[in-house]
Amino acid sequence: MTTPARARLWLPPISLVACALITVLISCVRHLSPLAVTGQAVFLIVILRAFCYWPPMIRWIVSMPVAHRVVFGVLIGCMVLGHYTLNGRTYFPFVVWEIFPFAREDDPVTCREFIATTAKGDKVRLLVEQVFPSIVQVNPLDGYSPEATEHLARALAKVYNERHADDPVRQVDLMVMAVKLHPPPGESRAQPSCELLKHYDISSGR
Amino acid sequence: MRTSQTLRHLIGPIELIHEQAGGPLLIFARFGIFALWIVKLLLDPLWRLAEMLREFFQPVGILALLPASALDALLRPAMLGAFLVMTIVVCGFAMFQRWFPLASTLAAILLTAYSSLIRSFGPAVHTDIVLLLAVYALAGFAWADLIQDRFGKKPAAGGRRCSYPLVTIVAMLCLSYCLVGLNRTVAGGISVFTGDTMEAWAVDAGLRGYYFNTDIGWRIPEWPLVVFMLRSGLPVITFFEITAPLCLVWPRYRWIFIPVMLSFHLLSLVLMNIFFFDDMLLYLLLVDWSRRFPALRAG
Repeated sequence: MTTPARARLWLPPISLVACALITVLISCVRHLSPLAVTGQAVFLIVILRAFCYWPPMIRWIVSMPVAHRVVFGVLIGCMVLGHYTLNGRTYFPFVVWEIFPFAREDDPVTCREFIATTAKGDKVRLLVEQVFPSIVQVNPLDGYSPEATEHLARALAKVYNERHADDPVRQVDLMVMAVKLHPPPGESRAQPSCELLKHYDISSGR
Repeated sequence: MRTSQTLRHLIGPIELIHEQAGGPLLIFARFGIFALWIVKLLLDPLWRLAEMLREFFQPVGILALLPASALDALLRPAMLGAFLVMTIVVCGFAMFQRWFPLASTLAAILLTAYSSLIRSFGPAVHTDIVLLLAVYALAGFAWADLIQDRFGKKPAAGGRRCSYPLVTIVAMLCLSYCLVGLNRTVAGGISVFTGDTMEAWAVDAGLRGYYFNTDIGWRIPEWPLVVFMLRSGLPVITFFEITAPLCLVWPRYRWIFIPVMLSFHLLSLVLMNIFFFDDMLLYLLLVDWSRRFPALRAG
């Protein structure tokens, strides 16, 4: 006679427990954990959980030898962890993935830029990313100190002049450009409105 | 009954991408990824960075671990030129099968240093990060194959072996989109999708200009149709970003995802001067080539 098999104790999957805990965290002690972190965690766990239940995915993971599983886990894990550090620089390339991450209400939208005048009188826009094509993007000029902005204007003019010896830059103007998000009906401009903030004389070398 | 059949017909097959991938497809992918890096490096006058002001240099990633004297030495024209040449040569070696684990690992280290360097004068933007992670995956799985062959009790599942790096690269590409979408939805909240947010971002990028400068984006407020497209497009794109992991398993979804996201990336270039051409080329891996061409299948 065989003894009846004892029913196995049912335990909820760890991910579901994590989801429940995070939901409690969000609901009760929001000040302890930023919603940006916990809210995303819930969604991500749900998505990963959906994949864990899908037989071909399980078959594929199970077919992996241990070393391969480690590589897969480390890469995906580091991406997720890097995102939750909310830090874009320290753990590069495991960065926080944020593009258009917050609402903007600034109107008009403004932007500082360098407009250079060459010896022949032509106007040239000096963009850091074009003068130094290696640099993917620089921070907006608004964030720099007046000294740093001047150093940058002179450095850009110097590099530009090295490549355009026949028509070098003589002066650089720091302009603030502005575009209204709600222009009056019928208003159309050939250029955004701009205002001179600072004038740098390049030819004098000062 | 009929409804469920119709639904099943509409959904189509659900199958893991690249599950049947064989050696030739992996070789093509390796070749393509390193060729893309080489083209990017060949187009980059990295030595010019020596003329950029040092006061703007804030080391990113592994560069922050180096002492200031080493960074000073690196930021000289000759050193930057030598570093660029060395990286190109190593990427060239990594295109071949011989010594692949070693060459790809060295390439991963050099490309990490390169990617950190070009971001150290500004924000750590996302262009080419997935392409760098793809190199990590190729190198990591090459070592895993080697370890399995040398020390494993049984050889790595021969047929599936080539699918591991390919599926991982697609998973990382999809995860990057998913995290962007989740971040925008949760951290930004509903206000990101209402009001003038998207116009403000687009005008800002259009005004600033980057390497590509179409000089169009700042005119957006004058065009109501484009404003409408931006406002209604953001939630749609965010939806596709969050659901990007479905690309791993749902072929029909991929045929919607690819044109939608390609259009988004092209419009980002035209209106915002932002060009994610690495990601666009990685979309080639969103096609399950081995199911279409038997020659690319395992076994």
